Amino acid sequence: MNESIHAACTWCYEGVWSMLTNWFRVPRQPPTLPVADDTVVTSFRPSDNYLRYLKLFFWIGCVAVDIGLAILWIVIAVASPLVGVLITPLMLFVMIVPDIVAYVAIHLKFDTMWYVLSDRSMRIRRGIWVIHETTITFENIQNVRLTQGPIERYFGFANLVVETAGGGASAEGQSHGQPHQGIMVGLANASELRDCIMDKARQSQSAGLGDDRHDSGKKCMATGFTDVDVALLAEIRNQIVQLPLQNATGN
Amino acid sequence: MPETQNDSAFDATKITRPAPVLLTYYVLVSVPSLFLALPLLWFRFLTLRYTFDHEGVSMRWGLLFRKEILLTYRRIQDIHLTRNLVQRWFGLATVGIQTASGSAGPEMSIEGILEAEPLRDFLYQQMRGARGEPELPNDASGKPVSLGHGTNTTELLREIRDHLARINRLPEDQQ
Repeated sequence: MNESIHAACTWCYEGVWSMLTNWFRVPRQPPTLPVADDTVVTSFRPSDNYLRYLKLFFWIGCVAVDIGLAILWIVIAVASPLVGVLITPLMLFVMIVPDIVAYVAIHLKFDTMWYVLSDRSMRIRRGIWVIHETTITFENIQNVRLTQGPIERYFGFANLVVETAGGGASAEGQSHGQPHQGIMVGLANASELRDCIMDKARQSQSAGLGDDRHDSGKKCMATGFTDVDVALLAEIRNQIVQLPLQNATGN
Repeated sequence: MPETQNDSAFDATKITRPAPVLLTYYVLVSVPSLFLALPLLWFRFLTLRYTFDHEGVSMRWGLLFRKEILLTYRRIQDIHLTRNLVQRWFGLATVGIQTASGSAGPEMSIEGILEAEPLRDFLYQQMRGARGEPELPNDASGKPVSLGHGTNTTELLREIRDHLARINRLPEDQQ
């Protein structure tokens, strides 16, 4: 019984998906990054715990709204039983349908989030109605922020914000299209990813402000000789000093 | 060059004007404002021109109040590709390019391009840090010099020492 319900739900969800991809042109494929042949591209979604986190808030909101509506309904029914009976279908509709829509929307939100990383850059896709894709190269990264709230910590994921140069008034409330930053929410291995991204950002010796890579010549290449190296050099010097002597005796 | 990885038919330098379907999109967009915005958007569509060269991209528009934006590919900080529902139906998209300036919105929003994704990938390839490692200095014969790290240097020196020692020993062996 439970399995057939699950199968039916999956079937309905697939139907919604095919409607979105066919009519609303939501891309079916995860985003790609153009790379050289030998480099690997990893693409992944937020962790499953992020979905559970979203659902927790869904259930809290759902229960709160439905209790409010139920109280309203009871008040109306007590005041005038006839009106109470008449609005029963409407009340049930308002209590149930938005919840189903919201539940499906949570799944869709999760399924349309993609993070793609290559060795040089990252691409983030999100959104259902307005699909937003952000591309940032690691060389342009200025800083990486890791944020985690108490509930997020309980679920074991964190959010990573990658920022590039330039600022401006950050438009509050407009969480998707923030300029100069890429937001990766719901990462199970956020700290590893942060280290990985920071490593790649550190390899760049420029300021990350679009300056030429010729400016950042490797000036310190010859330094960094250890004592062992110096000893070896001394030995080489001695060998070279001996060279003409040996040749002279050989002749 | 990396451009060859893209769709070979796509050539960004051929783009000069937005696709005509952008005008249809503008008509739809101006419906909520009872078509009040349409004249302005119409002039924008008529005068919008793009220039993609090998150094950078420029766009200009306007009839009375003219605007022109120029930027070089190297200064691009991040690229945003945004497509809303109506744009997706028309195959349009907005490619937002941000430089390190202080403005909150994108410095340049390229609209009305039907090949938005190849264009985005073209810009990405031109962007700083998207292409290969910086070239190493060339030696006399024109080959790139391989610069080893600390351990390799020691290894190299040890090899030189051994070679010299063998040369020194050679006359003795012959005797």
